[in-house]
Amino acid sequence: MTDGVYTVKIKDIVKETKNIKTFRLDLDLPALPGQYIMLWVPGYDEKPLSISYPGRDMGVTVLRKGATTARLHDMKRGDILGVRGPFGRAFKITGERLIAVGGGVGMAPIAPLAEKAIEMGREITVIIGAVTKSELLFVDRLERAGAEIIITTDDGTCGMKCFTTHALEKELEKGRYDECFTCGPEIMMYKVLEIAKRHGLPTQVSMERYFKCGIGICGACVMDDGGLRVCKEGPNFRDVEIEKFKDFGKYTRDASGKKVYW
Amino acid sequence: MPAGYPHQNSVVFMLETDICGLRLENPTILASGILGNVGSSLRRVARAGAGAVVTKSIGKQAREGYKNPTVIKIEQGYLNAIGLANPGVDDFGEEIKTAKEGGVPVIGSIFGFSVREFVSVAGKMEDHGVDALELNLSCPNVGKAGAFFSTTEELTYEVVKAVKDSVSIPVIAKLTANTGDIVAIAKACERAGCDAVTAINTLKAMKIDIVAGMPVLGNKIGGLSGPCIKPVAVASVYEIVKETGLPVIGCGGVTTGEDAVEFLMAGARAVQIGVGVADRGIGIFRKVAGEIEEFMKDHGYRSLEELIGAAQG
Repeated sequence: MTDGVYTVKIKDIVKETKNIKTFRLDLDLPALPGQYIMLWVPGYDEKPLSISYPGRDMGVTVLRKGATTARLHDMKRGDILGVRGPFGRAFKITGERLIAVGGGVGMAPIAPLAEKAIEMGREITVIIGAVTKSELLFVDRLERAGAEIIITTDDGTCGMKCFTTHALEKELEKGRYDECFTCGPEIMMYKVLEIAKRHGLPTQVSMERYFKCGIGICGACVMDDGGLRVCKEGPNFRDVEIEKFKDFGKYTRDASGKKVYW
Repeated sequence: MPAGYPHQNSVVFMLETDICGLRLENPTILASGILGNVGSSLRRVARAGAGAVVTKSIGKQAREGYKNPTVIKIEQGYLNAIGLANPGVDDFGEEIKTAKEGGVPVIGSIFGFSVREFVSVAGKMEDHGVDALELNLSCPNVGKAGAFFSTTEELTYEVVKAVKDSVSIPVIAKLTANTGDIVAIAKACERAGCDAVTAINTLKAMKIDIVAGMPVLGNKIGGLSGPCIKPVAVASVYEIVKETGLPVIGCGGVTTGEDAVEFLMAGARAVQIGVGVADRGIGIFRKVAGEIEEFMKDHGYRSLEELIGAAQG
């Protein structure tokens, strides 16, 4: 646990897809699946990122999106990054036969979750979704770990040509699961929750909001109506908590605190 | 009284305080800048036991503020440079409405880059229903070469007077110790008719990461808060209470009941709690209130009035 900002060197960089890279840092950071760090790209910005590889040579898996992640993607082995964390409430595995849905870079916390579940002797099916085949994340990694994998692509270049939610709907009809996890675009998670609820499945959702402090004091990431902090009480919430959120699937807040509707 | 409050009836009686007409069930107040940007968050803190809550500083327009890192922990404290991020006063009415459901006074913190802006935002916040205003004077007056309102007697007097003349709710000025003479500034507030002051705001500070070879905060320079600034804050409260007739709210490093008692003995009528939330959670308000009560019982104080100013010689 690093309380202040802990600066470390990048040990290794893996190009996962055209737009996603994994950065392994020279840092031993024990963490649970679903926890995150605040990653400082010196001179640019600091972003909350799910830990994709907890423990030795801790890693994060990042989509190239804005100026800061573009800078990160251009960095080389040996360059310096700052870490605060690990923070947040992890996924909690209580079921025996799990299903997880990861959309795009949302696979980042799902992969360590699946590995942990298998290590604990649970069965897990992971639905991995992406726009196209070349953007699929962690397929080989989870095959190696022994997870059952269902692939969906929007354009049908690999696996089923549909959204992850369609695959989930079909899979849940088999009725063999007792717990569901999801991380990805909010609209996808909203639907996952709806489908899982219809099948009576308890679900945990990895929430994303604009973060500033990461330690539960600034209030940038609170959810309406209970005022729960995504950085502290989350980012992983249970269905019973999410059902009380007025904003889930409807709006988020920008850096000023203004509501932005999806 | 919320269920589960540890010492129900006695606490209400023993810890009650008032400051410029606001009645507080206990002297702990959520400081501005902490969990204050969203109504449901303020309501949650109120229900968790705060005697009053202060909103994030609200300005005329929405501001995204500085880039991260905006908050970092250092030895004995925290550094922040948020950059007056806020959703803008026009959109804040709904948040105030929700905050007020918490059942404790809601103090609206406001800022402006000119006297006119302060007055305009003050009026709108009054219309939104806040119980009092707290002026965040630690912002530059753009019209006057960017001098901070809080650092000169003239600017402080001008802005406090203008806001006082335009609203009918109590006006509290939040003062900084980043000035030659905080007592002189407090006196300017008093002359302008200010109802109370909060002392102190964060202290100017910087953290450099020696590996990266650069300041960590996105804005490079920020404000220091937490236990390390408490002695500075206590001295400021003590002097302002001694030299003026203004009610004072103490702010800076309150983490425990003992910290709060120190401020009260210096003469503060209430204390604000900020980054203490990071160390003890949202339950800190109820914990600190309970600890103040325990101290009072152990040392024979029967009411908060007996404690307030006890160390003033």
